[in-house]
Amino acid sequence: MNVSPNEQYDVIIIGAGISGLVCGCYLAKAGMKVLVLEYHTKPGGYCSSFKRRDFLFDAAAHSFGSYREGGNFRKILEDISLDKRIMITRFDPSDIVCTPDFEISFWNDTQRTVADLARLFPAEEHNIRKYFDYYSPQSSVNQFANMKMIGKTFSSFLGSYFYDSRLLNALTFPVFGNGGLPPSMLSAFTGTKIFYEFMIDGGYYPEGGIQQLPDALSSYIQEHGGKVFYRKCVQKILCKNETVTGVEVETGETYLSKYVVSACDITQTAKTFLKKEKAGNVLRQKVATMKSALSTFILYIGIKKPFSGLPQKGTNIWYLPHYDLDKIFYHVNRCDFRKSGGFMFRVAPDKKTILAFSLAPFRTETFWRKNKERIANILLEHVTKTIPELTQNIAYFDAATPHTLYRYTLNHKGSNYGWAPLPSQLFDPVFRHKTEIKRLYLTGHWITQTHGIPGVAYLGYNTAKSIMRREKLPR
Amino acid sequence: MNSTLEKEIISIVADISGYDEEEIRPESDLQKDLEVDSIKAIEIAVAIEKKYKVSVRDEDIPNLVTVRQVVDLIAELTKQKG
Repeated sequence: MNVSPNEQYDVIIIGAGISGLVCGCYLAKAGMKVLVLEYHTKPGGYCSSFKRRDFLFDAAAHSFGSYREGGNFRKILEDISLDKRIMITRFDPSDIVCTPDFEISFWNDTQRTVADLARLFPAEEHNIRKYFDYYSPQSSVNQFANMKMIGKTFSSFLGSYFYDSRLLNALTFPVFGNGGLPPSMLSAFTGTKIFYEFMIDGGYYPEGGIQQLPDALSSYIQEHGGKVFYRKCVQKILCKNETVTGVEVETGETYLSKYVVSACDITQTAKTFLKKEKAGNVLRQKVATMKSALSTFILYIGIKKPFSGLPQKGTNIWYLPHYDLDKIFYHVNRCDFRKSGGFMFRVAPDKKTILAFSLAPFRTETFWRKNKERIANILLEHVTKTIPELTQNIAYFDAATPHTLYRYTLNHKGSNYGWAPLPSQLFDPVFRHKTEIKRLYLTGHWITQTHGIPGVAYLGYNTAKSIMRREKLPR
Repeated sequence: MNSTLEKEIISIVADISGYDEEEIRPESDLQKDLEVDSIKAIEIAVAIEKKYKVSVRDEDIPNLVTVRQVVDLIAELTKQKG
């Protein structure tokens, strides 16, 4: 029996998603005795893979950015020497946006992307160059430079660059897909971050599937004296005098620790784990005022064998049926996927599977039970319109609804981006790092607007550093 | 330098950066010493603007490197406000 209730740990991390795991790696490396408790049967959260028949599918996350020389995610993997253990490749182009009139490829060489765009939109050439220059590292004065973006939407930011709405909507469709809000609602700060980290520095992938990442992080914790337990659903954060003492899991076992890092859904942390703690009031009040981001509907398609019309492997291919992202958002929110029409798909690097994605709202389990098949078929129709040969080559087909995502990760409303990245929900540090409960820390995509694997990894690193500072451990 | 103002601003920086107040010196470089990234920087700016009811001007931004520079700027802005 590998479970030792009442054993004392230095830190317990709730949730083995990327943020919790990265936090655990740094703390274990610094010599702390770490225990990670995960509800699912494997690490990763949204960043995991699963097998059906002979097909290996990435469950949700399927590529990442910020792995350039000096990029945050590269720095993290280098710090814990996992850059040598995981083989990371980069697909080129990372993304292609297909519209009724033109295609935009996001090449690894940004200058090539800019040149392509300038050829497509000669009247906007100057604006295109100016827009991409904004993202060059030299253009930023200091970290306060983005103050102009306070309260602004991504649309207003883009409006200062472009006139052509076809260009504007095509260029930002992937930002909408990766942020869950159209530019007219998305915060300018988050829009630019997504554009930089996903579009300019995107397309990275670990050989062997996305599960390689959390598996390597989890192994690292265990190699450094930590433990990772699965099928452990935390029910309560134990506190004494408004200071954490450990956690209690569903089966009644308790685990004691000096620190607790909640790296899971924040509504559960506030409403369930801290239910009886008065000191959780600030968190609960804040949670009650926040609006979560949309969730996602995902198709998992297994292919009989590679065929001639199969699109390029590893590239995210975005289909934009028209140039009105607000309208797509409107129809998606009503679950009218026939009218929304916009989607993204990606042929896996092994060319055996295809993932297709559409943003989707959270609805009841009953709604999805009734509508899952119908909506999956609509999305499949969209995909087969663009890849007609696929119809005869489907060997396996299934879908995940927002409720499926909730069931596997327990994230509030099946959200895979945390809170909706509205300007009004940004720059308020209530959820960051320290809470009113002593030695309870938070991390993950619910604590601020951040996106993708590198974003949550960075927050995990940040939380670990806060604890290490407090413990006066060498950083 | 206004020591009360300095103390208050160090407290805001501590709260958002995760560093203890004792670790923060007026000469601390926000980015290099206190790991204040772009999102934390704006959180600090929003908190300060709200507390002192001032607006940081675009031309002030390049000068905001150390804690002292932030304190000096806020002292100047509040003085101007009268």
